[in-house]
Amino acid sequence: MAGSGRRCVRAALAALTMCAVIGGWCRGAISADLTVSVLDSAGHGVAGIVIIAESDAALPDKHLAHTAIMDQQHMQFVPRILVVQTGTGVDFPNSDQIQHQVYSFSAPKSFKLSLYAGHKYPPVVFDRPGLVTLGCNIHDGMLGYIYVTDSPFFGRSDDSGQLQLHGLPAGNYTLTAWHPQLQEAGGSSLQLRLTLADNSQPTPVFHLTHPLRADTTHNGDKRWTDY
Amino acid sequence: MDRLLIGAVPLAALLVALLAPPPVAANDFYAVVDLRAVAADGLRSFLNGGLGELRFDDQHDGVRLGSVSIGYRHDFFDIVHFTANAVAYGDHDRSPLDLTEFFAEVRPYPCGSWRSRLKIGAFYAPISLENRLQGWRSAYSLSASAINTWIGEEFRTIGAEYDLDWLGRQHGHSWELGVTGAVYGWNNYSGEVIALRGWAIHDRQTTLFGRIGEPGVGSVSGLREFSGGADQRAGYYVGASAKYLSGLELRVLHYDNRADTTAYSNGLNAFGWNTRFDSAGLRWTPTDQWTVISQWLAGKTVVGDSAFNNAQLTGFYAFEFRSAFVLLSWQRGADRLSGRYDDFEMHQTRSDGFFNTDRGHAWTLAYQRELNKSWSVVVEALQIDSRLALRGVIGEPVAARERELQLAVRFQL
Repeated sequence: MAGSGRRCVRAALAALTMCAVIGGWCRGAISADLTVSVLDSAGHGVAGIVIIAESDAALPDKHLAHTAIMDQQHMQFVPRILVVQTGTGVDFPNSDQIQHQVYSFSAPKSFKLSLYAGHKYPPVVFDRPGLVTLGCNIHDGMLGYIYVTDSPFFGRSDDSGQLQLHGLPAGNYTLTAWHPQLQEAGGSSLQLRLTLADNSQPTPVFHLTHPLRADTTHNGDKRWTDY
Repeated sequence: MDRLLIGAVPLAALLVALLAPPPVAANDFYAVVDLRAVAADGLRSFLNGGLGELRFDDQHDGVRLGSVSIGYRHDFFDIVHFTANAVAYGDHDRSPLDLTEFFAEVRPYPCGSWRSRLKIGAFYAPISLENRLQGWRSAYSLSASAINTWIGEEFRTIGAEYDLDWLGRQHGHSWELGVTGAVYGWNNYSGEVIALRGWAIHDRQTTLFGRIGEPGVGSVSGLREFSGGADQRAGYYVGASAKYLSGLELRVLHYDNRADTTAYSNGLNAFGWNTRFDSAGLRWTPTDQWTVISQWLAGKTVVGDSAFNNAQLTGFYAFEFRSAFVLLSWQRGADRLSGRYDDFEMHQTRSDGFFNTDRGHAWTLAYQRELNKSWSVVVEALQIDSRLALRGVIGEPVAARERELQLAVRFQL
């Protein structure tokens, strides 16, 4: 009987502990979903803008993907802009029929891939946050951007100018919008401050005051040379 | 023997290039066969002993070989790129197939925002903004503008060119800037063709060992452009370029071949032609569909002995020239439509009697369609109105309206 009582106490303690753990976990998991919009001065959505939500507090490690791909097609990087989390490896296949020579001299990641066609090199790991500009030393018109961020909450705005981010823990955040052709007062990026409460679904909006700088990227043709 | 040897040099060079280790990408070799149906009503062409300013005349109506262009590119040690381009026009040149360019480019990786490039060999100066296809062919029409036709006829950098580029766009700026300078030889007779025949509009490039026209026929008869002759002086050019984002490119260049106008070559039976000019160009691609190109070039050329700096001195001739064009091109998918207006002028400022002049303008309209990866067709209508004084001397009308309609069928390997 006494043994049974001790077992009951232990079970009750275990249940209490479990409740406490589950409760704590549940409370930690109470989170917000965020719909960020980028609108031009006429109120229309602007597509392709890099959007990042960075928490003021340290967040538990959450790594989304370990590889991403930036292809080379028609003498352009495809996609031209990539946003990845720190530690992500990026593959640079060359789908063109001519060789490219990819390089970066940006501070977060400096590297060179000697002349190649096809799929020759393993992914390049981007292990420091910041903006990396890529070029091809054979085709100066090729320009690519990789925005590396520590935050797991990032993406690019869709055709309606929106990006949905899910499961952000409550807290204070800095929202950043970046695009190489933004020409706002602060340069090529904009920032917003945001406080997220549990279960909230805020819809912050970046209002652009200037149109994106015109910069048509022209698909190249291997028969065209650099005369 | 001499003829055989001359023909063998470019062919051997090309053979060496083709036998080099196989390229990583198979298409480092290209070949384009361009067959034409031609209808022309112009004067007898300057290539055929006359003073018409087109490549074909009414003696050359029918099916003609436009050109066979072949080229090869090979990369060494990641940063050294070798290029050879050769062409055949099937028109009795000294060699049936001859080189137009043959050079190596050393292109190290950028150092921060800066990048150097060094070219050594025989190649084109960075003047044309329309000759963008492999083998320096126009990407917009069959016949190049008057300016670039002349560059293809009388100029080739046979020497070394150094470029320094500032790649601002890598660092968030909107501009890329570059400066260039070159020293070269074997261009001491550049200027003679424009002084005699005036300006022209066509697609025939003078090959490195070739000539313009056939010897002993007409005013421009078998000129060897790229000969050393008696003159040991090196020429030079300096230039600058600017690119704004990916849509706008500007170029300027000052050229001086520094030829010794008193150096007489017995072998070539010619004095040197000292030619100096300035050129400027703009290419604007506001959208994927539209391209606007405009170039301007002006300068002078002198020949003979000016030791006494006396305008009356027999044997000293000076000519001034200028030309400009505007080209508008529209592309959608496989179709491209281009129109160009050329304006040109040349007049003699010193002479012992006869003063040559050439004034005129030209309209070119071209439509091209890519049928598939290998086949394409181009239709080009060209009309050139000119008044060339030298025509009167050979008993032809000074003023002429010349027209040329060409259909090209191209096969690319």
